[in-house]
Amino acid sequence: MKKILVLLICLMLGVSTAFAGQTGKALSQESIIEKIQKQGVLRVGMSTFVPWAMKDKQGNLIGFEIDVAKKLAEDMGVKVEFVPTAWSGIIPALLTGKFDVIIGGMGITPERNLKVNFTMPYEFSGMSMVAHKKKAAGFSSVEDFNKKGVSIAVRMGTTAEMAAKKFMPKAEFKLFENESQALQELNLGRVHAVVSSAPMPAFHALKFPDKLFVPIKENFTKEPIGFALRKGDYDALNYFNNWILINHASGFLKEKQTYWFETKEWESLVQ
Amino acid sequence: MFNKPSNKLTLVDMAALGLIIAAISFFLTKMGSVLAYEWNWSAIPRYFIFQDADTGQWLPNILVKGFITTIKLSIWSTILAFFLGTISGIMGARGDGFQRFVSRTYVEVVRNIPSLVLLIIFYYFVSSQFLDALGIDSWLRNQPSSVQNVFSRFLAEPGQINAFVSAVAALGLYEGAYISEIVRGGIQGLPRGQWEAAFSIGLSGPKTFRLVILPQAFRQVAFPLAGQFISTIKDSAIVSVISIQELTFQGMELMAATFLTFEIWITVTLLYFILTFSLSRVIAFLEKRSSPRA
Repeated sequence: MKKILVLLICLMLGVSTAFAGQTGKALSQESIIEKIQKQGVLRVGMSTFVPWAMKDKQGNLIGFEIDVAKKLAEDMGVKVEFVPTAWSGIIPALLTGKFDVIIGGMGITPERNLKVNFTMPYEFSGMSMVAHKKKAAGFSSVEDFNKKGVSIAVRMGTTAEMAAKKFMPKAEFKLFENESQALQELNLGRVHAVVSSAPMPAFHALKFPDKLFVPIKENFTKEPIGFALRKGDYDALNYFNNWILINHASGFLKEKQTYWFETKEWESLVQ
Repeated sequence: MFNKPSNKLTLVDMAALGLIIAAISFFLTKMGSVLAYEWNWSAIPRYFIFQDADTGQWLPNILVKGFITTIKLSIWSTILAFFLGTISGIMGARGDGFQRFVSRTYVEVVRNIPSLVLLIIFYYFVSSQFLDALGIDSWLRNQPSSVQNVFSRFLAEPGQINAFVSAVAALGLYEGAYISEIVRGGIQGLPRGQWEAAFSIGLSGPKTFRLVILPQAFRQVAFPLAGQFISTIKDSAIVSVISIQELTFQGMELMAATFLTFEIWITVTLLYFILTFSLSRVIAFLEKRSSPRA
């Protein structure tokens, strides 16, 4: 009886993984460009990241990524559909076909590139830091934070986590599913600092000037940001690359970048 | 036999009550000073409903939408769980060796893996195989908007339908295992005399089961089943990890955008509590009414 049970479970798991392999292949046989045209909808995977993508007062999505994805869909002549996804599961969700492309401020890294294809960068971001005034008093360089007993909160699975661990290997890390949880931890003074993509740390420091400050003025990394798509689909890669090229040239990306990352005009839309 | 305990507050009760209140208020003031949190409750109401700037209409915002999705999700998964659980429960109580084995395997496998793991397996493996192959979402997208509206109202929008169905399937499968045990217990808990009495008036085995045992068993388990529905509402929060836009997910999205962490968590907690507590009061009321007068 027990043996049959174990056998059954193994069989179930085996079959499901084998099937998973197959859909992976099936998904890459037809270019998503054709599928998008046929269905009339572009499905975009994203996750909330202020000011890249967030909900406004009316519950609609707004942000830099949202503008980019909307323009892309408009140029393709299709509707856009956003699939908000937990950041830690966003690559598996792409691979299993929950959406067509990730336009979610995803930094291009060698590790991620082994699993997915990236377009050329449509934006550059960098890591910056916001720290607690009392806890991190006098800290002004990466070395100050790279010590035992210093704790840093980051969002799980992000390039912020990778950068923080690379630049401050001696510090302790607290990983959170969402940025707001990491920032909450900082506001409570339970960690020394939060590392995240610019410009959010600076904005957050401005919001709580008596509690928080920006210890290091420049970003300590520069990261290319690209669309991520499933491997093997070169038609889509070509299309997206050229779309980015055209929108760099036309100034669309620059204009949106200025609006979302250099001004705070959008803030009244959110709160 | 026993004296009914009186409802009067004794001195000891009052002292205990005073201590509890003191402890809670100490905790709250202590927490307030540690957190030094800037409360902003005024921002919350507009996430329930807001007035459209162009038309002046009042429209539901994401918290209300999430709340409704939670209810839809709980109802559908309970319906599925009820079917699965009843079949498996009857198989477990009355079936032959193989049927009992199937029922046991289902119950043991599901009860011994965390619901979160089951859900993720469903979302990444089962849903990508079956649902994407079935193509419900592309079928729905090609339907006229009236059909789409009906689906959005009772199930989910085209973009959400695959995830919604896999969430309902996973939750239904999960809760079904518990319902299976409740049903099996209900059937097996009936006294042997019921069987013997039915046989003695000449009813066949299957007929006895259908006409005598099953109705009584369901009366026995009606309230535990209702309780399971309340559990389903609470358990449904886990589907936020697969991007179902239910209450917890919407709350987390809102927090990520507004950083109003505590206000939103407290609001979400209250919404769940209002829903489940009022349901459990209704069930308690029905239970009291249906029980024979003592």
